[in-house]
Amino acid sequence: MTRLLALLLLAALAAPAATFYVTISGLGGEPDYDQRFRMWAQDIDSSLRKAGTADPDILTLIAPTREQIRTHFASLASTVKATDNLVVVLIGHGTFDGLDYKFNLPGPDLNGAELATLLDRVPSARQLVVVATSCSGGSIEFLRKPNRIVIAATKTGTEKNATIFARYWAEALRDPSADVDKNESVSALEAFRYAQRKTKEFFDTQKRLATEHSIFEDTGKGAGVAAAAAPDADNAEGRLTASFTVVRLGANVTASKDPAKKALLEKKEELEQAIDQLKYEKASMNAEDYKKQLTRLLLELAKTQEEIDK
Amino acid sequence: MKLVARLGLLALVVQLAVSAQTLERAEDLWRARDFTSANLAFRALVAQHPEHLEYKVLWGRMFMDHGDQDDVGNASDIFKEVLQVDKNNAGALLGLALMAADVYDGGAEKLARAAIEADPKLLEAQELLARLGLEDNNDSKATAEARKALAIDPHSVVAKAILASIDWLNGKAETSWDPHAALGYSTAAHFFMLNRRYDEAIQYYRKAIDLDPNLWKARSELGINLMRLGQTDEAMQQLADCFHHGQQDMATKNVLKLLDKYVNFVATKSNLTVLKLNKNEAGLLRPYFQAEIDRVIATYEKKYKIKLDRPVQVEAYPNHDDFAVRTLGLPGLGALGVTFTSRTYGSTIALDSPSGRKPGAFHWDSTLWHEMSHVFTLTITNSLVPRWFTEGIAVHEETAANPEWGDRITPEILMAVKERQLLPVADLDRGFVHPVNPVQVIVSYYQAGRICDFITEKWGWDTILSMLHDFASQTDTATVIRKELGIEPADFDNQIRSLIEAENKNTIEHFDQWRASLKQIAAADKAKDYDTVIKLGSAARDLYPDYVEDGNVYEFLANAYLAKNDKPAAIAELERYMKIGGRNPDTLNRLATQLTAAGNRQEAAASLDRINYIYPMDDGTHTKLGALWLDLQNAPGAIREFQAVVGHNPADPAQAHYDLARAYHLNHQDSLAIDELLSSLEAAPGFRAAQKLLLELSGGENETAAAPLKKRE
Repeated sequence: MTRLLALLLLAALAAPAATFYVTISGLGGEPDYDQRFRMWAQDIDSSLRKAGTADPDILTLIAPTREQIRTHFASLASTVKATDNLVVVLIGHGTFDGLDYKFNLPGPDLNGAELATLLDRVPSARQLVVVATSCSGGSIEFLRKPNRIVIAATKTGTEKNATIFARYWAEALRDPSADVDKNESVSALEAFRYAQRKTKEFFDTQKRLATEHSIFEDTGKGAGVAAAAAPDADNAEGRLTASFTVVRLGANVTASKDPAKKALLEKKEELEQAIDQLKYEKASMNAEDYKKQLTRLLLELAKTQEEIDK
Repeated sequence: MKLVARLGLLALVVQLAVSAQTLERAEDLWRARDFTSANLAFRALVAQHPEHLEYKVLWGRMFMDHGDQDDVGNASDIFKEVLQVDKNNAGALLGLALMAADVYDGGAEKLARAAIEADPKLLEAQELLARLGLEDNNDSKATAEARKALAIDPHSVVAKAILASIDWLNGKAETSWDPHAALGYSTAAHFFMLNRRYDEAIQYYRKAIDLDPNLWKARSELGINLMRLGQTDEAMQQLADCFHHGQQDMATKNVLKLLDKYVNFVATKSNLTVLKLNKNEAGLLRPYFQAEIDRVIATYEKKYKIKLDRPVQVEAYPNHDDFAVRTLGLPGLGALGVTFTSRTYGSTIALDSPSGRKPGAFHWDSTLWHEMSHVFTLTITNSLVPRWFTEGIAVHEETAANPEWGDRITPEILMAVKERQLLPVADLDRGFVHPVNPVQVIVSYYQAGRICDFITEKWGWDTILSMLHDFASQTDTATVIRKELGIEPADFDNQIRSLIEAENKNTIEHFDQWRASLKQIAAADKAKDYDTVIKLGSAARDLYPDYVEDGNVYEFLANAYLAKNDKPAAIAELERYMKIGGRNPDTLNRLATQLTAAGNRQEAAASLDRINYIYPMDDGTHTKLGALWLDLQNAPGAIREFQAVVGHNPADPAQAHYDLARAYHLNHQDSLAIDELLSSLEAAPGFRAAQKLLLELSGGENETAAAPLKKRE
C-alpha cells in the first residue's frame, strides 16, 4: 500500500500527461441494442467532457466500420506521445469461437489480434482497454501486455449473453460514489469495482442467474482476475489499475502546480504515508491507541489540506 | 478378444444374479433400507416378470419410501406405466393417490376412490380416504371412512388412530380407539401438526419413536417440527440420526442443509422477541424490522386484549427456498411468511427477506403484521382456531394496519367470483388444506379476509374476539356463526357472496373491455402516442382500479403526462398508484423525484419511506431519503437511513460514514459524529468534506484525538 501510495503521489506531482479517450459502440443487431450501446457510449463521452477533458482528446465512434477504426487509430498513433495515456472502451456484442475474439461491427468484425496491433501502434506510456462486450474474456490473451490494463465484462469467451457492464462503467465516470478514496478522481480499479458491484446487484435484484463476471488483467501475463491482489504484493494484479486515473472529478491538480505549496504537499504526503502505515498496524494495536493516533494524524492532515486549499 | 470374453462372462454372472432375484429378497432389502440393492432387485424382477404388475407397483412404493426428488418422479412414472397397461390397477391408483395426498393435492381423494372401486378391500386406500377427511377437519366424514377401513380390517392401526385423533383433537384425553402402536401415534401427530398444535404433535411423535425407535419417518417429522419451533439443536440431532439410518427423503436432507446454513445468521434479542437475520443484511434490516416488531406487538396486545408471555422469534430468509424448507422441509412454497406457535417454546415467524423476492413483489411489513396476528389468534385459541378464520383475520389486519398494504384483487380472484367459486364458510378450510387448484388458495385468502372485514364492519371487532374465544372452546364454525352473528351459515354465505359480487360488479362486467383497453394503451405507449394513452387511460384505470401489477394504467398515464411535460398530472397519477397499493420501488422513486423537483420534499420523503417497508435493499434510496430528512431537519429519520447504508457494506464507505456523521451532528450527538468521521476518513483520508466537519467538530484542536471510543448517546 505504501509503495502504491508513493506511486500515486509521484504521478500526481509529475507534469500531467494527456489522456486520450476512444469509445466505440458496436453493432447492436436490433434497434434496442443499437440504442442501448449508443446511449452508454454517449454517456461516457458526456462525463469526460463534463470533467474538463479537452475536446481533441475525446473520440466517440457510434457503430463505425472496421476501416473507420483503422483510420482513427492510425491518426492516434501519430498524435499520442510516449508520455501520454490511452483509454479505449468497446461497447457492444462480441463473439469467441474458442480461438478468436471478435468485436461486432457493421461489415467485417474487428478481431482480437488486429485490435492488439492497432493498440500497439499507439506509443502511449500506459493503456486501459475496456472490452465491455459479450465473450470479452476471450480477448484477454490477445490484448494483455505490460503497461496495459485490460478489463473484460466476462470472465471467459464462453459467457455469450449481451452484457450490461458498460452501463455501469459509464455510470462510474459520473457518480461521485465511485471515488471511494475521495481523492477527486476515479481510478480504473475504482471504476472497475463500481461497475462490477452494480452489475452483480442488477442480477441479484432481478433474481436472474448472472451471465457475466467481469475481470481485469494488468501484469501483461495473466488470465485476468475478478479482484485485485493485496496492493503491497509484488507484481500483483491491480497495482497498475489502481494507479491509472480514468477521470478527474475535482480540481485537485491545481495545487500540485503551485511551488509555494511544495512544503505543505510534502507534509501531506508524509501524513498520508503515516496513516497508511498505522492502518497496516491496526490489527496488532490496542483499539484505543489506534484511535488516538488515527485521530491525531487525520486532524493534522485535515489542517494541512485546509492550508493547501487556501 | 480377451475383452470380449470377459464381457461375456460378466453378462452370464449378471444373468444368473437376475434370475436369482425374488420378491421376498427385494422386500427384505427394502425393509433393511438398503435402497440401492432393493432397486436393483426390483429392476431385475420387473424385467424378468413384466406380466406381474404388482412387482412394478411395489417398486414404485419403494421409490416413494426413499423419497428423494428423483425417486418421486420415478415412482410417479412407474405407476403411470402400470396404468397404461391396466387402467384400473388399484395399487398404481393408490400410489398416485398417496403421492397427491403427500403434497395436499385436491386430486388425492378422486384417485383413492378409484382405487377402492377397483379393489373394494384395499385397506390403505380406505385409510387414506379417512385421513383426507380429517385433514379437511371433517370429523363425520373421517369417522365414516375410518369405520369402513375397520370393516375391511378390524385391526387397522391407521383407522383406529384417525378415530382416536378425532377424540384427542376434540379434547378427549381418553379414547377407546387408542391404537397403542407407533404408527398410530405418528398418524395422530400428523393431524396435530396440521392443526398447528405443535406441542401435541411433538409429544405424539416422541411417543411413536419410544415404541419403535426405527420408525425413521416419524423421527424425521419430529426433527422437522422441532426445527419449526426454533429448537435447532435437537432437530439437528434427530435428523442427523435419521440420515445416518437411511431416512434420506427430501425434507430430511433439505432441513439438515438449512440447519448448516444457520451459521450465516445472527440473532438479536429484545424483551420477548428474537430477530434472526442473515449476517449480510442484518445491519441494514434490523432497525426497520425491530421497530415494526415492537409496534405490531404493542398494537395487537391492545387490540386482542392479551399480553404475550412467551418469546416470538422472527426469521427472514434471503433465499426463498431456505424459507420454504424452514416451513415445509421442501422448496417451492408459494407463501411469503408462516407462523408456528407452541405453548412450550413460544412462537416463530419465518418470512422471506425483502431481498428474497424481486423488488415490489412483496411487502415485508404487511407480511409481518399478517403473521404476527397468527401469533395472537393461535395463542388466544390455544391453536384451536380454524384455518380460514386465522387467515381471514390476518388478511384483514394487513389493510387495517394501513389501507395501502395487503394484496389487491387479482384477475384470477375476479374470475372465481364471477364463476361463483367461493366456498361456504363452514367448508372454507378446504380451500386452504386441500385446494382443487392453486388459485383456490388465493381465492380462499381473499374470501376469508373479506369475511373478517365484513364481520368487523357489521358486528364490530369485539365480535371477532368473541368468535376467537368460541373457537378456543372447540366450537365448530357453523355454531360460532349462529351464536355470534345470529344468522344461519347459509344466510351468511349469501350475504358475503352478495357483498363481494356487488363491490366487484363493475370490474367483472367490464373485465374484457378493461383488458382490451390495456392492450391499446400499451401499444400506444410503445408507439409514443401519448395522447391516446391519456385519452384511454383514465377510463380503463377506473374499470379496474386495483390493478397495480406490471403494465398497469397508472404508470402508462404517468409516462404519458411526463412526456407531455404535465408534471402535476403525472404526480397525481403516481400518487393514485401509491395510495391504491402500488408497490414498485422504481415507480415510488419516480414519484419522489417528481415531488422533490416540485418542491414538495415532505411528500417526497414519505414516498421514499414507503419503500423501506417494501424493498429496503437499495442503498441509493436510503441515501436519497436520508438527504431529504437532513434537509427537513428530521435528524432521527436521517440517522436511520444513513445507518442503513453504513450497515449494508456500502460501495462508498467514506461517504456513508460522513452522511451519518452529519445526521448525528444535526441530532446534537457530536461524539458519535466524530466517530463516524474517523471511520469515513480512515477509508478515505483525503475526503475534504469529512475533513472540514472533523475540524469543525473538534474545534481544530488535536486534543479531540482523545475523543471517546464508540459509545451510544
